[in-house]
Amino acid sequence: VPIRSPDSIPTSPPIASRSDLCSLTAATSHAAQQQQQLGAELERGGGGPSSAPAAMSSGMSDSAGGRAGAELMVEQFHLKVLHAVLAVRAPRPLAGGAGAASFRRWDSGFHLPLHDPPPPPEAAERLDALAPGEPLVVDIHLAPAGAGEGGAVVERWTVACEPWPDAEGEELAVNRAYKHCFTLLRSVYAVLRFLPAYRVFRLLSANQSYNYEMVHRVGSFAVPFTRDEEAAMRSYRFVPVETQLGRLVVSVQYLPSLSAFHLEITSLSPSMLITDYVGSPAAEPMRFFPASLTEAAGSAFPPSYQQQRPHSWAPPALWPHPAAVPQAKFSPQVIYASPTPSPPNFQGGYQQRLMRGESAPMCIPQVGERRSPVHRQNTLDPSRGFMLPPPSPRRVGDLGAAGAQESPSECGRLIGRIEGLRMVDPYASSSPRHKGKDSKEESGRFSALSSCDSPRQDDLDDADYPFVVDDVDTPVSQLGSNDGKEMGDQAGSSSRKSQDAQVGSLVHLLRTARPLRDPSYSSQASRAESGEVASTSSVMSRRTSDALEELQSFKEIRERLLSRSSAKHQEPPEKP
Amino acid sequence: MNCVTCQLKELELESTEIRDVLRCILHTIFFHRTLSLVRPKDVDCDFFEITYVQCGLPELEKEVDEKIDQFVAWVEKHPNRKSQICLSFFDEKNKHPGWFGNKTERAYWEQWLINLHVMSPKRYSKSSSSKVLTNIGGNALEETSSRRSALESSIHEVLFQIINFANEKKDHIPAIPDRIFNHEIMIPSSSDSVFGWNTVALRRVLNSGHPYSL
Repeated sequence: VPIRSPDSIPTSPPIASRSDLCSLTAATSHAAQQQQQLGAELERGGGGPSSAPAAMSSGMSDSAGGRAGAELMVEQFHLKVLHAVLAVRAPRPLAGGAGAASFRRWDSGFHLPLHDPPPPPEAAERLDALAPGEPLVVDIHLAPAGAGEGGAVVERWTVACEPWPDAEGEELAVNRAYKHCFTLLRSVYAVLRFLPAYRVFRLLSANQSYNYEMVHRVGSFAVPFTRDEEAAMRSYRFVPVETQLGRLVVSVQYLPSLSAFHLEITSLSPSMLITDYVGSPAAEPMRFFPASLTEAAGSAFPPSYQQQRPHSWAPPALWPHPAAVPQAKFSPQVIYASPTPSPPNFQGGYQQRLMRGESAPMCIPQVGERRSPVHRQNTLDPSRGFMLPPPSPRRVGDLGAAGAQESPSECGRLIGRIEGLRMVDPYASSSPRHKGKDSKEESGRFSALSSCDSPRQDDLDDADYPFVVDDVDTPVSQLGSNDGKEMGDQAGSSSRKSQDAQVGSLVHLLRTARPLRDPSYSSQASRAESGEVASTSSVMSRRTSDALEELQSFKEIRERLLSRSSAKHQEPPEKP
Repeated sequence: MNCVTCQLKELELESTEIRDVLRCILHTIFFHRTLSLVRPKDVDCDFFEITYVQCGLPELEKEVDEKIDQFVAWVEKHPNRKSQICLSFFDEKNKHPGWFGNKTERAYWEQWLINLHVMSPKRYSKSSSSKVLTNIGGNALEETSSRRSALESSIHEVLFQIINFANEKKDHIPAIPDRIFNHEIMIPSSSDSVFGWNTVALRRVLNSGHPYSL
């Protein structure tokens, strides 16, 4: 194989790319048509399939175009070899449906259909620039992934038509040479699959997340190998085909083993993640949120929200692309090294969830369902300024007076108000105590406070939940007996209002409540309570000392609740 | 027309590897000698890191598999013997048409002799020592691996041998039909020589007066 120095021939930048072979250009289709025509002419010149061998080997140079036919044949042969090499040395994603069924007419030049995509236009154009005798060199590199070029040459294919020193080949028949090219191309096709690079090509085509990529370079000169490279390579020269123009020579230099390249999958390619499966969050991000919540939230999740910040369920394209980061030759990002690539374990679950159509884990309560205790607690958290402490526990006992004619304390009335609230309690169903009260829609909250239920310690710790179930149970019932009508009226009016409005009104009520020590409170409380949900009363200032005193009382209530609940939990189970 | 003969390098293999090896060799020969329009099909060997190409002709694949089955059956009856499989291409011509029908004559123009030495798996010496047995087991795997690797290398040599011969000897090939050339695959039979040589093929070679090629 003549290896010319770059100075002796007009230089032109070789093509080094992992090019896309899926486009059929006008140039290559024209070349394919020429192949067809050439083949038809040569076969007609040979007298058809049943002609005697002598007819095939006779001087048919006058028919089938003679020298012009030879030139066309040589050009088409170069293109065919280039096509055959790049078809199995330029990895591309495996496409479904490719195979013998996808043969196209223009593929069958030299009786060897190549159903792979044709060479890219820029590679085919290289053939036009070849001077007579100039070789076509195709270098196959294994380069670190993302490098684009460089790396080590693992194969070098060279095709050349070595011209005759004199007019030796003038008598050679074109159709005979054409037939001989059949066998040569079969051999090239077979050897392309014998050599080690073929297996690597298949690996990289099946999975493009390896730490190496196969890159080809098409040019008209061969960069000389170093002495070590030359020593490591083996050479094979195919038996040439004699044509009118010269001898068609194909040769290959190749590394007999590619084990030195430790092929490993470095990362899960984004292209392997199916992001647009039916029902995916990426396709329908709003689908997984309840309609009521999205409506209430309004534009809380605008269509552009997902684009602003990638979520865990966002398409991988939004995440930093690993290919953008140049990787070292021996990548430290190896997750595992398996000859049969499969998704890594730590991502597999996520990917499998995506594949199964599951959404990212979310826990969003719906409006109308029970609120979380934390949410409820936050609503009443004094630290958030939503409420003022209820009356001191000293007044609770006063509230316990059944059928007392004395005016119910503010605490009792507040309790009554709260009973009327439609606050769904998550522990209501677990409270056997308050089953009977469900009809009155008043036990939801208290069931959470019941010591026999499971008032969670953290809930009680977070907020100074002022209500003592056992203590207020009786007064509540008593209140219910005494003020049942009123309570019912209030409950009836409360039922017509939203929860938020009710909470707001409660807060307002608490704020406007008179101080506990105000002797005139009892007489004014009833007036203040009437229409309290929607009424507005004057805000009475409270002295700090009163507030502190009530705070202390709430703390005592809280400690009492805690001790009671802990005592309940430590009780032995009841015997059947 | 003289018959051109190619004698391929002998391969030592075990009975389990017969199908892989014969399919690879026979289909590679057919791929190079079936010059009509074919539909190339890549096939991976089961035991070797070798991919060969078939013509994509179902009838041919069936015929090859049937012959291999017959050969495997013969090997089971004649273990540890060298054998030869002959693939021949011929032209069929009418000879002396007579009153009672036409006689056809076969003119062989090429034959390929595939030489195999099918060996039984090695038997290892008996030893009462469990440690020795463990070592023997490990050695067996290592031997099998190295033997198979050597066989794979030999198969590569044979494939390049086929390619060389197919490209060097082309002028004797008849006109390209629109189908596969007439051919026959001959395997050893019970009446063959002790060495498993195909006597018919051998006689044909001797009668052709053409020396062995390669």
